Amino acid sequence: MARALELVIGGLSLGGIYALLAFAMSLTISTTRVLNVAHGVFFVWGGAFERGIVRTLLGRSHQMLLVGSIMATFGLGLSMESALGYGWVTFVDPYPVFSSPLAMFPIRLGDVALSGSRLVILAFVVVTVMSFHLFLQKTFLGKGARAMAQNFDGFLVIGLNPYRLSMILFTLAIMATAISGAFYVLAVPLNPYEGLPLTLKSFTVVILAGVGNLPATLVAGALLGVAEVATSQFLGTVWAPAVSLAVLFLVLVVKPTGLFGKGVY
Amino acid sequence: MNRRAATLTVVTIGVLAVLPPLLSSTWLLVMFLSFLWLILTANYDVLDGFLGHINLGQGAFFGLGAYVTTMMLNVAAVQALGGLALVVSALVAVVSAALFAAVMAVPLFRLKGLYFAIATLILIFLLQVFALNLGDLTGGSYGLYVPPRFFVSTFVAYYVALAVAIVSVGFNFYLSRSTLGLAFRCLKEDEEGADSIGLHPLRYKTIGLVLASVPSAAGGVLFALNAGFIDPTIALGVERSLLPPLMALLGGTGTVLGPVFGTAIIRIIETVFFHYLRLPVPSMLFFGLTLMAVALLIPAGLMRSPRVRRLSLFRAFSS
Repeated sequence: MARALELVIGGLSLGGIYALLAFAMSLTISTTRVLNVAHGVFFVWGGAFERGIVRTLLGRSHQMLLVGSIMATFGLGLSMESALGYGWVTFVDPYPVFSSPLAMFPIRLGDVALSGSRLVILAFVVVTVMSFHLFLQKTFLGKGARAMAQNFDGFLVIGLNPYRLSMILFTLAIMATAISGAFYVLAVPLNPYEGLPLTLKSFTVVILAGVGNLPATLVAGALLGVAEVATSQFLGTVWAPAVSLAVLFLVLVVKPTGLFGKGVY
Repeated sequence: MNRRAATLTVVTIGVLAVLPPLLSSTWLLVMFLSFLWLILTANYDVLDGFLGHINLGQGAFFGLGAYVTTMMLNVAAVQALGGLALVVSALVAVVSAALFAAVMAVPLFRLKGLYFAIATLILIFLLQVFALNLGDLTGGSYGLYVPPRFFVSTFVAYYVALAVAIVSVGFNFYLSRSTLGLAFRCLKEDEEGADSIGLHPLRYKTIGLVLASVPSAAGGVLFALNAGFIDPTIALGVERSLLPPLMALLGGTGTVLGPVFGTAIIRIIETVFFHYLRLPVPSMLFFGLTLMAVALLIPAGLMRSPRVRRLSLFRAFSS
């Protein structure tokens, strides 16, 4: 009986990850009717990223870890970005813009017309963040991740494997990021060199919400989005990129722990 | 510095000083740009190597220097000064970069580690937004021209850039030997301990940032005057902030010669690969891979790596 329970729980925790994977994938299939066979490649990229970079860096002292992580990931990002941009410019399109030709029908509520693709994105975001939240709260691996964030030494003492866990986490995160990219182009066209500005934007949201505070990232993201739209409306679209930079700078300087505090997990 | 190292330094500077008449105009430009990179890298190392802060905003001072000079030279009142206009606008540019550094130091140095790095990275993007959108002053995305009579030839710019580079590296040498540098390294090792013996952290960090911003801004001024044209991607490109850390890390931060060797290696590779062989590879791909390899394989940099330390040339300098 106990053995069966163990199996069920083990299966559920594994299935939780699969569900997270499959959810995003099935959503892309059902909405865009594109079967992304590269889905797994993004997944593998996540794993390789952990193996090549995170594992090399984990053993280092504090300052070296910091310098190393910024530099190594910057390097990876720059080379991936320029390889994509260069390849696309050379072989596909000299003025690359990634956008989805798929126009989803607008949904009308009385006088209000809501863009269908925006609603799909919104639903996707809410569900993904909530499933990440549940993953971190309810599953064994998620609890392990929280333990790792709270107290790394204690995490080692109770015999958990940081390499394995960080590999799983990075894989999940990169996968979710890649899927978000696919959803992003439904609403906003993207060019190959938008990586760094988008990294800063996501960093703004993370800092605004407080590092590790997942549900608050929904609120923070919404706040930033509204702030940007309001800025383009009242000051002109050219100033919209400045909003996230200014917000990031202000939050870092005034309240680096974020609006909603830190350490919820 | 022992006599051998002193001789080597003097000989190197001497060779660089007599080189220009022998070089073709292309190579003169390559050397001039290398000096600009060396200035940025040496300045970056003031904060990373001696104060322990990763500053991803060094390019902001460069861009600010370039923009302020060019904007000044486009004002009729400044142009009326004739020959003095260059001096005045260069001085204003350098002083405004120093002021910018001093003002930004207060909020920036409330942060540490990753947060400091990200906050400094924002600086260059913020300046980009301003340069793009304040079109009346900066020309927006069309850029801004230096009036032709204020051009500085590459020949002259070479010598000025060499002088500024020597001052920058010399300043790092001074830091490695002086009480100011000792105070910086105290703060790097243990901030509370340093504070308790009377080294006010914010004051010393501000001094560090301001002193590191001045030569970078001077480099930006030289760049603008020599190029004759600047726009947000040329003067405020992100690589101005990102390549100096790469060069300094490759050479080894906190060592006086680390930035020099790092800059030299990257510039030689860049020149050979992209100007000489004309490889059809985007430069950022190459730099990204190098950056990643350096961070993963030689985290402490060449000058601290045991293999390099054993070389006799290194021993001449380190003793």
